[in-house]
Amino acid sequence: MNRHYLILSGLVVLGILYPQAFPGYLSVAITLLLFAGWATAWDILGGWAGQVSLGHASFVGLGGYFVAVGASQYGIAPWWAVAMALVAAAVLAYLWGRLTFKLTGPYFTLSTIAIAEILRLVAINEGWLTGGATGVFIMSLPEPFGLDLFARQTNYYLALAFAALTVLTVIAMSRNKFGYQLRAVREDEDSAMASGINPTTVKLKAFMLSGALTALGGGIYAIFLSFLEPHVIFYLLLSVQIALTAIIGGRGTIWGPCVGALLVVGSGEVFRTTFAEANMLIYGLLIMLVVMFLPRGIVGEPARYLIRRAYAKRAQS
Amino acid sequence: MPSALKADGITVQFGGVVAVDNVSLDVQQGTILGLIGPNGAGKTTLFNALTGFVPLKAGRIALHGQDVTHLAPHARVRAGMGRTFQTERPFEELTLLENVLVAAFLREPKRRHAEQLAMQVLEQVGLADRHDQPALDLNLARRRRLELAKALAVQPRVLFLDEMMAGLNPPALKEMIGFVRELAAQDLTIVMVEHIMEAIIELSDHVIVMANGHVITEGLPREVIEDPRVITAYLGED
Repeated sequence: MNRHYLILSGLVVLGILYPQAFPGYLSVAITLLLFAGWATAWDILGGWAGQVSLGHASFVGLGGYFVAVGASQYGIAPWWAVAMALVAAAVLAYLWGRLTFKLTGPYFTLSTIAIAEILRLVAINEGWLTGGATGVFIMSLPEPFGLDLFARQTNYYLALAFAALTVLTVIAMSRNKFGYQLRAVREDEDSAMASGINPTTVKLKAFMLSGALTALGGGIYAIFLSFLEPHVIFYLLLSVQIALTAIIGGRGTIWGPCVGALLVVGSGEVFRTTFAEANMLIYGLLIMLVVMFLPRGIVGEPARYLIRRAYAKRAQS
Repeated sequence: MPSALKADGITVQFGGVVAVDNVSLDVQQGTILGLIGPNGAGKTTLFNALTGFVPLKAGRIALHGQDVTHLAPHARVRAGMGRTFQTERPFEELTLLENVLVAAFLREPKRRHAEQLAMQVLEQVGLADRHDQPALDLNLARRRRLELAKALAVQPRVLFLDEMMAGLNPPALKEMIGFVRELAAQDLTIVMVEHIMEAIIELSDHVIVMANGHVITEGLPREVIEDPRVITAYLGED
């Protein structure tokens, strides 16, 4: 059995107990779990497949708007809305990838910014559907099995399940055919083709999976906020935060995005309360330190060190 | 003997430069074709055209009778072509086994079966005892063997080797020649671009000599290297 599954099970148990221990700190934990899930989902495309997206807010927004508009305008239950959002996210990722995967490196990244921007403008201008620039309120939600979906505790467990699901997906992926195909495409597309891999297909699959998972988190986010504004949810800053969380933690590693979320969300919270205005300064400094001294991220760098050391030992013996 | 690889009138053009001009070849199953010529002759371009990495201006390519002219490189691999690269780039953080696994997954989607196939191939090239070592800092000779293992793991019917011998020291060269000979004995068809004459003479059943994008002569290795046109192509005229 894989040790990562064990670590995940342990963390989930801790996560289940957390509300009992710290009932007053649920909101920050929800944010942390959502970012852990988003960054892990982002990393399937950005880390494992090596295609850096700065447009993942699109998927968060898509998931969020499906749930919010579904609930407020059409009386659609959030689980059906999320299911539709997953399909919509996968379709969006497919079309977007078809158009842009011919572009490589920074050009793909630039195109992702454009798409989130287009969706933001649609959300602002199509007021009949989305509530326009003022946004959309979720007034009421159904109560499955008497469960209040607006309750912080419910939000928390949904976020925990979401984060656990994304990590579970990545653990399973890291050992199977798809995971190896992703790594091959990231390292060298020509060499991947020589192994019979179609790089475009593999990148499209990664994008669809990454987008759908991100949209799932977006749906939970909408319930947590119960109010969506296009300026916030489709904002470039959210896309950048998701990407940075994964990059700081370590791209293409199983736990990197989660560690990144702990650091980015956790420190963000501490700095905001302790240093007030200076918190962005410290946040920026943190990013610089990681980029300069740990270019592979907080998890990626030690992992590489361990591999090197194991190799050096073997070379000596 | 059946034809394993047949190419007719292959022409490749980069802008105004004709890199490969109307080259045809026919390789019989289980034989080794050597492709030689001075630098810039168009060998590697022809090689890339045959494997699909460079688009054709004209010509047709058939693999065991199947027309693969319009197939993408990965689809040609699926159809039965395997290739190595001149500058091998293994995934450094993955182990040797995992490096080969990437290719082995093509025919064996289940991890357990793919691993068996990858191990088998590593044994074939003599790297099995190092299978759990990261590909990091592998020396040149072993990197070449790993590159060969990756190409073999897709279970090709025609194997393309791009300068596998370059830069190897004499014992490693001898070893690599041994591997290639063994593969041909197992009825694999091989096309190799090579500068090392020793390898060409020892291994090739048939040699094609290129210069300036054209085939200048072809035949048995010993005949070809004594051909005055070949000597002129390599050394220039007086």
